[in-house]
Amino acid sequence: MLEVNIQKSLPGFSLKAAFSIDREILAILGPSGSGKTMTLQSIAGLLRPDEGYIRLNGRELLDSADGLCLPPQVRRVGFVFQNYALFSHLNAYDNIAFGIHHLDRREIDGRVDRLLHMMNLQDMGRRYPGQLSAGQQQRVAVARALAPEPEVLLLDEPFSALDTLVKERLEDELLAIQQFYKGDVLFVTHDLDEAYKISSKMAVYEAGRILQLGSKQEVIEAPASRMVARLAGVRNLMEGVVDGIEDGQALVRVPGLEAPLRVALKNGACLRRNQPVTVGIRQECIAIVDCAGENAFPGRVERAVEDVAGISYRFQMQGDGAGECRLETSLPGKAAPVMRSGQACYLFLPPERLFII
Amino acid sequence: MATGAAFRDSLATARIKPRGREESTLMSETILSPFWISLKTVLVATTITFFLGIAAARWIVGYQGRLKNIMNGLFILPLVLPPTVVGLGLLMLFGKHGPAGMLLGRLGASVVFSWPATVIAATTISFPLMYMTARGAFEQIETSIENAARTLGASEWRIFWSVTLPLAWPGVLAGTILALARSLGEFGATLMLAGDIPGRTETIPMAIYFAVEAGDMHEALVLALVVLAIAFVSIVVISEVGGAPRGSRYGVRSSKGKAHRTPEVEP
Repeated sequence: MLEVNIQKSLPGFSLKAAFSIDREILAILGPSGSGKTMTLQSIAGLLRPDEGYIRLNGRELLDSADGLCLPPQVRRVGFVFQNYALFSHLNAYDNIAFGIHHLDRREIDGRVDRLLHMMNLQDMGRRYPGQLSAGQQQRVAVARALAPEPEVLLLDEPFSALDTLVKERLEDELLAIQQFYKGDVLFVTHDLDEAYKISSKMAVYEAGRILQLGSKQEVIEAPASRMVARLAGVRNLMEGVVDGIEDGQALVRVPGLEAPLRVALKNGACLRRNQPVTVGIRQECIAIVDCAGENAFPGRVERAVEDVAGISYRFQMQGDGAGECRLETSLPGKAAPVMRSGQACYLFLPPERLFII
Repeated sequence: MATGAAFRDSLATARIKPRGREESTLMSETILSPFWISLKTVLVATTITFFLGIAAARWIVGYQGRLKNIMNGLFILPLVLPPTVVGLGLLMLFGKHGPAGMLLGRLGASVVFSWPATVIAATTISFPLMYMTARGAFEQIETSIENAARTLGASEWRIFWSVTLPLAWPGVLAGTILALARSLGEFGATLMLAGDIPGRTETIPMAIYFAVEAGDMHEALVLALVVLAIAFVSIVVISEVGGAPRGSRYGVRSSKGKAHRTPEVEP
């Protein structure tokens, strides 16, 4: 169990982060410079926050009230750096053994061999970092961090420097690590897909603050703010006003849409009449249908972009003249209907997939 | 005033010394003596500079305070100043009325015009070279590497010996060679502090100078060849003993994690 509550101020930037995780994988997501690496470094003891506390499995690593700040050497924290930071003058075996050199020879051999096996690095023990591929170097870095059996594993953008194929393999391997590593795992990434794939919990950072912390489903399906929604890849955000509430649904009038949107209310959200809200929906959740209906609105294709995964369309919705509304859809594969610019159709926005910010 | 007089005296002593006109052979006193003196001086001076330079470089790389640039300036001062000025400074420090001189005086010792003075002069002059090169080598090492060692439980001492120094070794080696070469060729400061006393403080560079001055070109040439031999052998020995093995396994220190060697194996 890791509890973090820290603050740090630097010229032009201030970090304020608080969260706790218990035997889960937390993905820290956010743009560059938002304080993600600073958080990891604070947990590892490489950076000293101005204020706050960090508790790992009941042990205080940092307590500014008591003036306690343990050095990194004794924190039992495993850290995998963005550039791997392997010791280039030592071979893979010696790199991995670096943190456990005080154990007896047989124990060291046993652990290193086990780790080499787990990370698919059999027979690579004698190789030097300069003789390993990037993916292999990354695996050695992870093995090295795991050798001393740390209580928490921190990974700072571990896969950002790798190409897609290698990245996917390593992401799978990191997921598999959970089978033998029972501690907490925090990893920093700016890649949403990677974060979603590997983690169970997500923390979204921006400008030194955590905008949202929750299970990955929560963050993706119910982002707490426009920024989180954007970082979560949502491109459909509509400004509207609450018209009324009925049957557990809110009716929101959005300028640019013919009729009010019906939005399913979750978790006892409290809305008042005439309250301005932002309604969002993920591109993948919008369906193209044949006719008008509840939450189905007419629109015209404005732009079509085809990529490897499928087709993205941008629609201009036919509205009530009060404003313009544009929605994007993302349809997978060849099953998507092919439409030309200017073509008219209806878009269905399922009430349960809409979220209110 | 007193220093001025002492200095004039030292120069006088330095110049008035026997210079035989007899044939100088390689084995003659006038060759052997400077040879041994230089050898001893260079070995001791380079060893001291090696440790002092590394220590100073390591200290300043870790130092976060405001005096960093000032300390750096002090460390490289002997390189920037003319050797005679450095010699003058040392003379004022170690002379009869200088702070270090008075301290030694109380112990009944005097450094001026003695062999240790050649070591002091050579060390002072070659220190900046060792310091600058070692510092450059240490600063080349990415912080994340030392941080990684910290998270793995290594004490600062272990980090220095097992990570920093091995990674900085090529630079440290180069610095040692520079320091050795500079010590070997030291003349100006040595002359000021140690004087040219044959059999005691006359190093090869001084012997060459005064041989030429006395017109003994033969001796000068022989001495020059001796210096060349010492320098060359030292450089080769240092490079052999300290250099990276053939087919360097050090690989390429990658930035941003990308290995520069194309992998022949599955990623």
